[in-house]
Amino acid sequence: MTGPDAVTATPTATGGGTTATTNPASVADKSYGLGASVPPADADAKTQGVFPYAADLWAEGLLWAAVLRSPHPHARIVSVDTHAAAEMPGVRAVVTHEDVPGDLMHGRWVADRPVFAKDIVRYHGEPIAAVAADHPGTARLAAAAIAVEYELLEPVTDPEQAFSAEALHPDGNLIRHIPLQFGDPEATGEVVVEGVYRIGRQDPAPIGAEAGLAVPRPDGGVELYLASTDPHADRDLASACFGLEPDRVKVVVTGVPGAMADREDPSFGLTLGLLALKTGCPVKLVATREESFLGHAHRHPALLCYRHHADAEGRLVKVEAQILLDAGAYADASSDALAAAVSFAAGPYAVPHVFVEGWAVRTNNPPSGHVRGEGAMQVCAAYEGQMDKLAARLGLDPAELRMRNVMATGDLLPIGQTVTCPAPVGELLKAVRDADLPPLPADDDEAEWLLPDGPAGAGEPGAVRRGVGYALGMVHMLGAEGYDEVSTATVRVQDGVATVICAAVDTGQGFATLARQIVQEVLGVDEVRVLPADTDQPPAGPAARGRHTWVSGGAVERAAKMVRTQLLQPLAAKFGMSVELLTIVEGKITSYDGVLSTTVVEALDGKELWATAQCRPHPTERLDDSGQGDAFVGLAFAAVRAVVDVDIELGSVRVVEMTVAQDVGRVLNPRQVEARIEAGVTQGVGMALMEDLRTSRGTVKRPSLTGYALPTALDAPQVRIVKLVEERDVVASFGAKAVSAVPVVTSPAAVAAAVRAATGRPVSRLPIRPQAAVAKPAGA
Amino acid sequence: MTLPTSLDEAVAALAAMPAAVPVAGGTDLMSAVNSGLLRPAALVGLGRISEIRGWQYADGNALLGACLTHARMGRSDFAALIPALAMAARAAGPPQIRNAGTLGGNIANAAPTGDALPVLAALEATVVLAGPDGTREIPVGHLTAGHDPLRPGELLAYVRAPLLHAPQTFLKATTRTGPGRATASVALVLDPARRGVRCAIGAVAPMPLRPLEAERWVSGLIDWDGSRALEPEACTAFGDYAAMSCIPDPAEGELPLALAHLRRTVAALARRALERALS
Ligand SMILES: Cc1cc2nc3c(=O)[nH]c(=O)nc-3n(C[C@H](O)[C@H](O)[C@H](O)COP(=O)(O)OP(=O)(O)OC[C@H]3O[C@@H](n4cnc5c(N)ncnc54)[C@H](O)[C@@H]3O)c2cc1C
Repeated sequence: MTGPDAVTATPTATGGGTTATTNPASVADKSYGLGASVPPADADAKTQGVFPYAADLWAEGLLWAAVLRSPHPHARIVSVDTHAAAEMPGVRAVVTHEDVPGDLMHGRWVADRPVFAKDIVRYHGEPIAAVAADHPGTARLAAAAIAVEYELLEPVTDPEQAFSAEALHPDGNLIRHIPLQFGDPEATGEVVVEGVYRIGRQDPAPIGAEAGLAVPRPDGGVELYLASTDPHADRDLASACFGLEPDRVKVVVTGVPGAMADREDPSFGLTLGLLALKTGCPVKLVATREESFLGHAHRHPALLCYRHHADAEGRLVKVEAQILLDAGAYADASSDALAAAVSFAAGPYAVPHVFVEGWAVRTNNPPSGHVRGEGAMQVCAAYEGQMDKLAARLGLDPAELRMRNVMATGDLLPIGQTVTCPAPVGELLKAVRDADLPPLPADDDEAEWLLPDGPAGAGEPGAVRRGVGYALGMVHMLGAEGYDEVSTATVRVQDGVATVICAAVDTGQGFATLARQIVQEVLGVDEVRVLPADTDQPPAGPAARGRHTWVSGGAVERAAKMVRTQLLQPLAAKFGMSVELLTIVEGKITSYDGVLSTTVVEALDGKELWATAQCRPHPTERLDDSGQGDAFVGLAFAAVRAVVDVDIELGSVRVVEMTVAQDVGRVLNPRQVEARIEAGVTQGVGMALMEDLRTSRGTVKRPSLTGYALPTALDAPQVRIVKLVEERDVVASFGAKAVSAVPVVTSPAAVAAAVRAATGRPVSRLPIRPQAAVAKPAGA
Repeated sequence: MTLPTSLDEAVAALAAMPAAVPVAGGTDLMSAVNSGLLRPAALVGLGRISEIRGWQYADGNALLGACLTHARMGRSDFAALIPALAMAARAAGPPQIRNAGTLGGNIANAAPTGDALPVLAALEATVVLAGPDGTREIPVGHLTAGHDPLRPGELLAYVRAPLLHAPQTFLKATTRTGPGRATASVALVLDPARRGVRCAIGAVAPMPLRPLEAERWVSGLIDWDGSRALEPEACTAFGDYAAMSCIPDPAEGELPLALAHLRRTVAALARRALERALS
């Protein structure tokens, strides 16, 4: 009899799964508090299968929703006939734009997006109508039975055509233009290199199904159970659309199964709420994988044209760039993405003269929006391509050329803002450059060599060339350009147990774990509960741009410190000493001299202590007409060295190792930092080698996980963290910097550089297509 | 869903319910059901029919049960019999899929990227179909091309493949390190008795393609009674010849870049396959 195959394609000695060596200095032996590898708050629930994913939500008597989406990227809607659908047995409501009682248009940044398309559809998958029925199958059949007559319009799919094309939207096709001017436009260098770079459309591909539940309230309001990453913003969008006061709509955040972007199609909660309000019943919606691919925001595809000037020693003189971001049909986060792209167009290098023209334009392509590292990732691939070109032109080692130009604290960004935070760019580069290279298979066991094309693939050792490439990347942290950065948190202590109430969503980034650690550190109590987020709590803002560690973590710390003072003040007064002379460790309060010794529980004496605090970092300003301004609160940097094997006949690439050095400010949870870096690098490798949501004249081709390739364990490289630079950022809470985004930003450029080194090909497009990685063997 | 335990029962069940669909591993069928492409009225599960989960020998041929899983075919005892089919089975998706997916399902599904198909084409294998009126045997290609489709109540019972007792290779290009569908694949078998090299190219066309002229040319170069070795240039020429015959130049203009790359890939795979088989 046949049995299951015990021998699977396991990662071999030289490759496979993602493991990391930690910087030994950062491993703390503490079991709780800041700096300890406190296990993720949701780990047990996730491993035991009781984590409350949105797709598991249930309410008595619920109805199922289905959305009718446009099959065309650009069309005029001549008519929508819902009669057949409404009359199907089991169908309880059908809604279109006519059923929206409040604002017809919504958007987290600009209200330019209809809840349901009215006259025009502007992208493949745009919602037109939705149905609620007593069975999911009925709902889908009914949605399909809605008869829409379209008059097809020519889609604008080439962003370069958007400037001259007829306006796709009343707001016009130009979403934002930033002409950045810094220094002397006449400056020239002895050496000039030019390049054109293209970046594809990465999908955030959250693996958990996108789902939600709306429950009508007796008072005419509605509760939305969503895997929201920004519950208050989602509530405000929803209440405006429902024509209700914000306090009549409550968003309850269900378990978010991981998010590196605004998770789902923003119209999700709106559709659910409208149907629940109309039917008076709870309504549930679970998106199909196809809908997810069509509806949620993607990374901006980009076209970048660069000219770098340098002197004969390779010092940068001037960078000129034109950056074009494809926003898709609606503005969403495009303005932010463009600001980052333009501001970081020259990368973490000191450049005296920078001239950048950046545009974000409207097209009929799939929607673009916030996907971590937006703007910064696209330019990193381009400026690092330029650095490689420059090194080749000057006959310099690529790492050495970069070393001659690295930015440092005190340098100016091309937006005229001074870099005031730690910027240990040179130290990072040195760490990855000096790290040992992974062994060549010849030195290892050749039979164990995992070749490009996989364990049972066509790889041929003789055709494989190894390449090593470098990239330096940077991102900004927190909202930029005048965004009101603020978060509020409450801490309560009773019976020696602390509770944190904060609407900051743990999207898998570990905020709940961090909140626990902060309270453990300040209050010395072990047991800390972090309550689920909802909009009855004060706003904490979106889970993005590494904000929550700084802003919400900062608020938690302040609230915890206030509770600490309330707890210790009476004791200190009684013993005639100041609060600072008391310490709390593992629930025990002691004074510096040992005279006082009690416990938190005793000191509380049955009382309950509460405190609420806010954290509001210093304000920023919008970039002016020449792209100048103090736009950012903080910056984070990374250096990545990629080692790749390329089968130069087939053009297939395997990333052998990604060596990372990162500027983290302070390690708050070593295991978490490592996990975030591994995840970011892996997402970056996906961008470099395979992730691209393809379209044909605006229509998405194969919106499925078969059609859209993601890195698997075999594709994921060995991630080796060789250095975490812990130079405290004095203005940041805890001195810590955001860790998740900068590896995503930097890794694709490093892989491209390594493939360049292996093949001698220019590699100017991501993801790298096999035909761009084939090469003639040396000497042929 | 019915779960017959013999081929006869399965055929009877299918004949009794003409709308029923057979399911083996379900790796193709159930994904079509889950994505709403297919709504079978009833299912006849083939997983309990032990007579078609193994193999037998018959006059120099192997009679392979349709429900042999990829995992089973990938094991070393099977690899000693039909090496190229074992290699294809090891490359046919991730382990979970290979544990469930079957040879018969791969043939019946007839996807251009079906990894067993170029091997069966190179082997010139046949399928034994069992139906209400008894069995019949046809070349695999007739079934997969739809020239001679399964008739009502008919099941794919066995695959008859020759035992050639000579080196074979199967090479699959996926462009990635993790499991993936073939962008191109090449199966190549040596048949010393017939003094022939037989080769089939998968995934570049709806059906595996046989570069017959290239096969004949290279078969004539090989010293079948001697070392069978060939000069590297001959292997390269064979690869180019095979690739050119699958992806010919267009009547006018240049070959599009993506196709030119595919042709280079096929040429490299065919050359590597021949080199490995002769080494
Ligand atoms: C994630 C994933 C990765 C995959 N990767 C690969 C890959 O790399 N290479 C590859 O070749 N395939 C791949 N496949 C496809 C699939 O696994 C194979 O084609 C497999 O061999 C199908 O076998 P099955 O037993 O699962 O077929 P089923 O799904 O059970 O059946 C498929 C079809 O064949 C019919 N059928 C099955 N058995 C018989 C029979 N005995 N007689 C008549 N009709 C029959 C069924 O009615 C159905 O129409 C992949 C699939 C998935 C989901």
